Order: sequence, then C-alpha cells, then structure tokens
Amino acid sequence: MSARYVPVSWNTSKLVYDALLLAAIGLYIGVYLWVAPSFQHATLPLDEYSARMAAFGTCAFFLLTLILCIGPAARLDRRFLPLLYNRRHFGVLTCAVALTHANAAFEWYFSYSPLDPYVALLAGNTSFRQLSGFPFEAFGIFGLGILLLLAATSHDFWLAFLTPRLWKALHMGLYAGYTAVVLHVALGALQTAHNPLLAVVMTLSVVLVASLHVAASRKSALPAEPEDGWIPAGPWDSIPDGRAIVVPIADAEPVAIFRYEGRLSAVTHVCAHQNGPLGEGSVVLGCITCPWHGFQYRLEDGCAPPPYTEKLATYRLKLADGMVLLDPRPNPPGTYVEPLRVA
Amino acid sequence: MAATIVHAAMFYGAVGMGVAVLFLLWGIDRIDPTAPGAYAFRPLLIPGLVLLWPFVLLRWAVLEFRH
Ligand code: FES
Repeated sequence: MSARYVPVSWNTSKLVYDALLLAAIGLYIGVYLWVAPSFQHATLPLDEYSARMAAFGTCAFFLLTLILCIGPAARLDRRFLPLLYNRRHFGVLTCAVALTHANAAFEWYFSYSPLDPYVALLAGNTSFRQLSGFPFEAFGIFGLGILLLLAATSHDFWLAFLTPRLWKALHMGLYAGYTAVVLHVALGALQTAHNPLLAVVMTLSVVLVASLHVAASRKSALPAEPEDGWIPAGPWDSIPDGRAIVVPIADAEPVAIFRYEGRLSAVTHVCAHQNGPLGEGSVVLGCITCPWHGFQYRLEDGCAPPPYTEKLATYRLKLADGMVLLDPRPNPPGTYVEPLRVA
Repeated sequence: MAATIVHAAMFYGAVGMGVAVLFLLWGIDRIDPTAPGAYAFRPLLIPGLVLLWPFVLLRWAVLEFRH
C-alpha cells in the first residue's frame, strides 16, 4: 500500500498510542508540579518558573531516553515492536515538551532584563573557557535545535524530498542531540542539585541507552560464509509460522525469510516505504506486513497488492537436509519466485 | 554581536517563510507527483521549509530540472 500522503494515516492503534503517551506525560507533569510539592519539607519551595523548568526538562530527558531505547529493545525482543510503530509522534511530542521547558527557562531568566530576551540569552554567559559556570544553556539550545529540526522533517514528504539516505543520516542527529542534552543537564542542573537523585537517574538512563545499543548490535550476527554462492540460513523449522528470520549479507541488504502455511519466501529486509525492518513484521491476510506503518507485500513476488505499486527485491531459496539455503543475489524488485514448500 | 545574530536569524526566518509559501502553493505540485490534490498535510511542512529553505531551493531546482 502507499499512494498519496495519506498512507500513514490515523487509525485506532495510533490514537490509542498517542492518547497513552499524552496521558503519561500529563501524569508525570501533574505529579511533579502539584502532588510532589505537598510532600516536600523545603524551607524555600521552588518558584513557579523553576518548578515548570524542572518538570518539563526532566520529562523531555526521559522521553528522549525512551525514544533511543525503543529501536534496540524491539530488535532484542519483539514485544517492544508496538512501541516502534508510532515513534514519530513520540518524537514530536518530546520536542513540544522540550520547548515548554525552554520557554519556562526563558521567562525565568529574562523576564526582568531590559534587553531583548534573545539578545540577553546569547550575551548572558560567555565563560566558555571554564567548567564551573560553563554556559550550559548553549548545549540546551543545540539539543533543542536538533529536536526541532527532526520534528520539522518527520513528515513522509521529507523522506522523499531529501532522499531516504539523507533523511536517515539527518535523523541520526538525535544521538548528537541526546549527548548535548546530557551535557546540558550535567553542567547545569547537576551543578546546583542538592539531592543526588537526578545524577543517579541520569547516569542509569545513559547506561541503559548504551547497553541496549551494544546488546542489539551483538545480536545482529556476522554474515555466514556462503557455500557455492548459497548462504545457509538455518533450519526451516526455526522460523515461526507467519514470521521471518533475518539473514545478514556481507556488503548488502539483509534478507528476510518468511514462513507461511508451509512455504518459505525471501524478500529484502528493507521496506520500500521508509526502510522499515520488514523481517520484524509478520504475515497478515497472506501479505508481509511492515511493522512500522503497515505497508503490505505479497510473499511470492514482493509486490504490494493493487492499486499500490511498491515492489521488493525477492531471493531464491532451496532446501538441503532441513537447512534453508539462500542465494544472496537479489532478483529485480517484483520478480516472481515460487515459494519453497517445506511441510 | 548577540544582537546581530538575532537579527540575522530573524531575516533567515522571514525569507524562509516566503520560500515556504511559494513552495507550498506552487513548487510542491511541480516536483512531487504525489502532492497534487493533497492539501491537509501542507501546513505541517512549514517549520521544516523555514528551517531548511536554502536546501529546499537547491533541491527544488534540481528536481525541476530533472522533470
Ligand atoms: S511501512 Fe513505513 S517503513 Fe515499512
């Protein structure tokens, strides 16, 4: 499926996803701003702006951490796949939360300055040469800029307009953004924090993001050595019915081998829509269904059912002693390959 | 210095807004075959067009040339 810029339209699961996300953010902010202060015994409670700054700032940091965890977590365990489904809205909401944090900071710092607030922000602290009192705001502005750029280019139009390669490279900028945000907190809020909780939670978050990425990259095993050009992909019965295994190929796109109703078919692992991980999808109503936005392709020829026009490269398979062997040379997209009967 | 940066950013944004209006009313239909007839999504593109307008102009020119 595809066609105009409506394919990734609203559906019930997206609405539920967004509603849950909004509810979780609302709950976090609500507890932080209205419930938590009543349990505090501070002699000097936070003023309104500082409280808003802290609530929205920490919320944005946790949302960003979650966004970065979703990808590798889904690769390690399929049960996280539903979270991946609508990550784009997750990102845009995170940007909105970060903007609210920046706005509160802006009001707090500059409401009494006679200067134009933007000028005051840039000219306020320029002690870039020392660590204590370093203008941590600069990292915040940089991180916010990246979030804004990514949110602003999250629509499908940008993927086509910028080309998928450039778009993906641009969106990898999220890692630079996260690093900037970590530095922003470490050189800012952590320098004045009286309570170690923030430092502990932040360290744990960074460790979580890093270790999930390491674990997920270990999991994508090294490509197997081809035998006479055919690559052993594993025993056919290790493929769950209606699902796929993903076979890495040296210097080429990985291949997804699907099993459905006693037959095997192989197509590229890369979705024709936005390079989504097709092999992590499943067969729905006889069609391979991408886990990202639900584009569908026929098993036997990799074509999207009419009236849609996307096509995937297909691959040849054969069986030897219960082992599936894969010819790693892709057929032109849309080429019919008779599914391999296994049971 | 700081005031100059702020003025430059405002100028950049204003030109970007102009480019965005031109592109959404006219350019997009010429270079993106899936755009004609689809309008609801266009305002969503404004922030990106304003941020990336020099690149948008470049890419618009390249695609225009190719068609
Ligand atoms: S459906 Fe969007 S990437 Fe596959």
